Amino acid sequence: MSKTMEELYSPLVKGKQKAAARNWNSSKLWRKLKPYLYLLPAAILLGIWMYKPLIHTFYLAFHKWSMVPGTDKLFVGFDNFTRLLQNEAFAGAIGNTVFYTLGLLPFSIAIPLVLAVVTNQMNPRMKNFYRALFFIPMILAPVSVSAIWRWLFHPSNGIVNHLLLKLGFVQEQIAFFSDASWAKWIILLITGWKMLGFSTIMFAAALTGINREYYEAGAIDGAGSFRQFLYITVPLMSPMILFMLTMSLLFSSQWTFAYIDILTTGGPYGTSTNIYYEMYRFAFSNLNVGVSSAAAMLFFVLFGLIALSLNAVSRRFAFYDN
Amino acid sequence: MNKRSQVLSMFQHGALALMCAAAIIPLYWMVISSLKNESEIFTASLFPLQPTFGNYSYAFSQMPIVRMIFNSFGVSILMTVLQLATGLLAAYALVRWRFRGKSLIFALLSVTWLIPFQAIMIPNYVLINDMGLNETLLGIVLPFGVSTFAILSLYQAFQSFPGVLIEAACIDGLSDWGILSRLILPNIRSTVASLGIIQFINAWNEYLWPMLVTKDMNSAPIQIGLKLFVNSDTNMWGSLMAATTVSCLPILLIYLVLRRQIVDSFIRFGIK
Repeated sequence: MSKTMEELYSPLVKGKQKAAARNWNSSKLWRKLKPYLYLLPAAILLGIWMYKPLIHTFYLAFHKWSMVPGTDKLFVGFDNFTRLLQNEAFAGAIGNTVFYTLGLLPFSIAIPLVLAVVTNQMNPRMKNFYRALFFIPMILAPVSVSAIWRWLFHPSNGIVNHLLLKLGFVQEQIAFFSDASWAKWIILLITGWKMLGFSTIMFAAALTGINREYYEAGAIDGAGSFRQFLYITVPLMSPMILFMLTMSLLFSSQWTFAYIDILTTGGPYGTSTNIYYEMYRFAFSNLNVGVSSAAAMLFFVLFGLIALSLNAVSRRFAFYDN
Repeated sequence: MNKRSQVLSMFQHGALALMCAAAIIPLYWMVISSLKNESEIFTASLFPLQPTFGNYSYAFSQMPIVRMIFNSFGVSILMTVLQLATGLLAAYALVRWRFRGKSLIFALLSVTWLIPFQAIMIPNYVLINDMGLNETLLGIVLPFGVSTFAILSLYQAFQSFPGVLIEAACIDGLSDWGILSRLILPNIRSTVASLGIIQFINAWNEYLWPMLVTKDMNSAPIQIGLKLFVNSDTNMWGSLMAATTVSCLPILLIYLVLRRQIVDSFIRFGIK
């Protein structure tokens, strides 16, 4: 077999070598350039729309500018940063960011993990049916979702207020989006609603990869279901858990952005805003480019550090079944 | 079936049914509300007693819905095609050759994962305005023409492709373009398709950037038009729900047809 292959290919190879020898220099250069040529379209677009703007934002963070074309950018040093840190609204936004980030963890980790484990042993047809349904919130657009929830929670005519009144839970209708004690909870609820089905499916997929023999061994050693969950399931799921944890911690404030903008615009009195929404407002409502850029840089670095440490944690603790 | 497992099974179905209800009821309420007439819209009836399409005709008369859906399709398809094209080329280079600066390129690609859009929106907004591309579909598409998520996902898919076959094709005299388009691509078709579906859905659902670029309904994707309609602060909840239903419909129809594949591709690639 190998001999016939050799015979088949040798004329071709020889021909190639000859041609190659003839213009050795240019073809060598060509081969050296080729990888970069294939990378070029991506590199150009990334350069123009990702790296250059990032550097530009860094530059803008030290300048005062109002985005008006033709006006000069005034160098102000660290002024934007100090103004940012003294801004009370921004302190509140940081608090809310923490609220959203931690508040989303039950929806992205705890509940889905339990649901995935509980439903693991189902007949596959039913499982697929359920999966197909509770995946739907994930693929819907944030704007459509906001419109629906705005109607559900409408202060005077929404179905939720209808039910609460009828069942006697409340005496008068709740203005969910303009009541400071409700607004951020509703936004958290919507974000969680969108996340729940997706996380459950991710964990369910990771569960099917676990070898059943571990559970049999555990059962023989007398471990009940809870201990099996704690000592077998959780360690073997740790890569997926850490992955979802990373996603959730890094991106939950970005996921809430659209809901904040459409449902509350950060109000009432800034009680539902978060850092990303404030950056947007600094730039496009207050036309204060410098402060917006300073905030963006600050949190780019901060989240970068969080990502790095999470990465280190997952390297140290994630348990892989080889 | 013994008693214990029966209880467990009931609990399983109960938990799942509850979750499904939570996922579906808001959608059900959207469709039902869109079919109710003016006197019924403010009641809690579970289905419309006199279903009407009046809300739909009002919504279609108030904003250029067909135009905006068309815009959305244009933006999403163009974005997906560009991302797949640039991604395929870049991923091929990364798999096929060893060259200077490769690890630097990987580092740069990974960093983009951490760049929040807010950290690049101002320069991009200024640039799009300078190019005169605001209120255009191209203006929405260009900054998203390449996706590092797509590059890295395709890179992974390429890696599982046997290198021996590539070597053999190379000896056969197939050019690199030929290897990519005629050897690798047909073999990882399903991966590319899955990735394409995700990128399409993400593009369709994109919010912040299209909102910055387009203000006029005629040049806006449906999401932005819907947002303008929601904020117009009318009490026309029936037609608002009609418009919302229309905005969800394309994605829901695609989901109906490609259900398994969409769920699988999200599992495979995760989210970004």
